[in-house]
Amino acid sequence: MKELDLLKKDWQKNSGSFEQVSENDIYKMIHKKSSSVVKWIFIVSIIELGLGLVSGLALSFTKYDEKNVELIKHLGVYGYYIAATIVLYIVILYFIFKFYTMYRKIAVDDNTKKLLSTILKTRKVVKQYIAFNLSFFALFFIIFGGYLFYEGYLEGASKNGVIHPEMPLNIALISFIVLILATAIFTFVLWLIYKLIYGLLLKRLQNNFEELKKIDL
Amino acid sequence: MSENLEPSFVKQLQENQNIIHKICRLYTAGEDAHKDLFQEITIQLWKAFPKFRGESKFSTWAYRVALNTAITLYRKNKRSIATVEYEGKQHFTHDIEYNYEEEEQLKLMYRAVYQLNDIEKALVFMYLEDKDYTEISETLGISEVNARVKMNRIKGKLKKILNPLGV
Repeated sequence: MKELDLLKKDWQKNSGSFEQVSENDIYKMIHKKSSSVVKWIFIVSIIELGLGLVSGLALSFTKYDEKNVELIKHLGVYGYYIAATIVLYIVILYFIFKFYTMYRKIAVDDNTKKLLSTILKTRKVVKQYIAFNLSFFALFFIIFGGYLFYEGYLEGASKNGVIHPEMPLNIALISFIVLILATAIFTFVLWLIYKLIYGLLLKRLQNNFEELKKIDL
Repeated sequence: MSENLEPSFVKQLQENQNIIHKICRLYTAGEDAHKDLFQEITIQLWKAFPKFRGESKFSTWAYRVALNTAITLYRKNKRSIATVEYEGKQHFTHDIEYNYEEEEQLKLMYRAVYQLNDIEKALVFMYLEDKDYTEISETLGISEVNARVKMNRIKGKLKKILNPLGV
């Protein structure tokens, strides 16, 4: 391609013609803060990991929770509840550890494909973490929300003078479906917002990674 | 980061800064963006410098980090306030015999290269820098054969951009 040869000639001829940055300016530059995508990914990920941790803690410490503990103890499934909480924390810690080790692997002097793949894998860890958290809380909400509604219904019925209150099957079914739908919609919206942030941050990286993968197909 | 690394880094970077300028020229439009990317690449090089063992030449290592920064890490955002000011202008040297037609062709060619995507630009950049396909494939993490194939496709794409009707 003769145009490309012409460009190459010009490129090489002019390669020394840039206004030079002084050593002094370079000194100043290396003390400036980076604004790289990786740094943003790190900040956003830490916020996300932290939010999961905070919501987990909030779950165990609020008064609302103490009332639940009473309820759970009353039901005789306290052991399961404690086990679930421990599992939640183990999983959260596992994700934080995995994120940290992946993040440490990001090296700007790797080849481009590997660098992109490490960054995307690091983000994937956080994505899995978010998916886990959303499903955990959705499940939690359905089980406890459902139970609280059930208890409330019975309580209301007995206040109205019913001696052995029972929830009719159709009400139970409808309320269960409504609860599941509400949780699903809520979770879905959160997931959409998450995907949007994720997309804004990673679109370019993903495009470039796809492009590199395509070359080697 | 250890203090005594600084003078050695700054000196080597100062000597090799044209590598960065050239990448900035390809990946940014306008002086501010050029400065911005130059600074980000400098920061990334400095951050990675403690790991640079001198097994390869500083310039080879700098090529890789600089390209990676342009392709993956750089965010095309306006943040000129935080940028160190320097004159980023390029002085073009012209032969005494000024070839108008060639100059026009060059302009079109530069414009065509700007329309390529990030990865294609990287290949073109290394091609213009006379890098062999071994280095191109190692830098991008693709196979040598496919790097060649891709370069040929890019040439085709450039031709099409220059002459969309194929006349």
